[in-house]
Amino acid sequence: MWSKRKEDEVPLRPERPAATPGAFGPGVEPQRREISTMSSPNRTFEPETGAVRSGSAALGKNVTVKGQIVAREDLTIDGEVEGTVECHEHRLTIGPNARVQSNLKAREIVIHGSIQGNVEAADKIDIKKEAKLVGDIKTSRIVIEDGAYFKGSIDISKTAQVKSPPQSQPQTQPQPVSQPAPQPASVGSPIGAGTPTLK
Amino acid sequence: MKFGSTAKENLTKASEKNALSTANRHSSGFEQFSAMLQRPENLSILDMSGASQANVSFITSLGHRMSTDDILATMQQCFADDFLENQKVASKAQRFIDQTLTFPDESFDGALVWDTLQFLVSPVLDHVVAQLLRVMRPGGLMLVFFRADERSPRIPMYNYRIQDQRTLSVSPRGGYQNVQFFHNRVLEKLFQKAGSVKFFLTRDNLRELIVRR
Repeated sequence: MWSKRKEDEVPLRPERPAATPGAFGPGVEPQRREISTMSSPNRTFEPETGAVRSGSAALGKNVTVKGQIVAREDLTIDGEVEGTVECHEHRLTIGPNARVQSNLKAREIVIHGSIQGNVEAADKIDIKKEAKLVGDIKTSRIVIEDGAYFKGSIDISKTAQVKSPPQSQPQTQPQPVSQPAPQPASVGSPIGAGTPTLK
Repeated sequence: MKFGSTAKENLTKASEKNALSTANRHSSGFEQFSAMLQRPENLSILDMSGASQANVSFITSLGHRMSTDDILATMQQCFADDFLENQKVASKAQRFIDQTLTFPDESFDGALVWDTLQFLVSPVLDHVVAQLLRVMRPGGLMLVFFRADERSPRIPMYNYRIQDQRTLSVSPRGGYQNVQFFHNRVLEKLFQKAGSVKFFLTRDNLRELIVRR
């Protein structure tokens, strides 16, 4: 079906331009992009960049992870995590049932549960009233609700940057579909089989 | 000294609530403390009332680094309902000491101790003061409050929020039976290992101290 797409066919989205080579950037293969859209109905497509933008991932309250978590999309953790969590350029939410013994890094971090570890956010850290945080904070902005428990130091840096891991390919270039998962708990691969949600 | 079986009393009576509702108060002690904060260098300040938006914003907006250690929450966690009696239990006292002021030596240029020390009894109190002096840098300042009303049956517990460099917002967070009164002489002895102690007596029966390490 997808290989027969031609200019005179009615597009799924009227605003989408015709699928001509190079229309969405150099090196972008329309077939692969469309396949991922069909297999992930909750994903939105950005024709300007040719990138597939996914929803958020979540670890439920009955999930325990020991190791390194690297997310390239918004992530919510409501279970137990021991290790490190990196959510570069995205939001990391620690749910009310979460018990996290990890160092956390993200663009923005919202804390409802319990954390023992250092927390670093390039943009903002939001500590809710039921949160319990023991560790050091480094961020550009911080919001603390009355009732929150925090023990540690706060370092406000206007130029705080969360360094993203080096990416070998820019977003406009295709990623292999069958990319092997480097870590068992890795989520948010650019083109994956859907939004993994562990319950 | 008298120790009740249940030392913790909830301040829920309407008259007491009205008297202890959130209010702004001028603090000469804090005014002197905040004068230190006007230094351009990046100071390290400890707030022992736990984290609050007002205090964090005030301290960090001046370019300083802030640490918090909610000692009252640790007290309630370790000593529970029989707050004063449990401080005499060695295991509970040790558990409290192990969790309190666990910072390296000479970590801070200033400490906002507020009224936390008046709820401790010796030897726990002596140990906490020793720890405070240990984590302060030479010349560092501590702001400490003690109730000055000897006849009051209860010592109210407050949250202190910084409004500006001389004004604090004070809101109640509970209270305990008044079992000890800190005379000036007692306070001088308590901080005898400090460099200096300066007293500020206020109108609302609160004694403010600036202790220099």
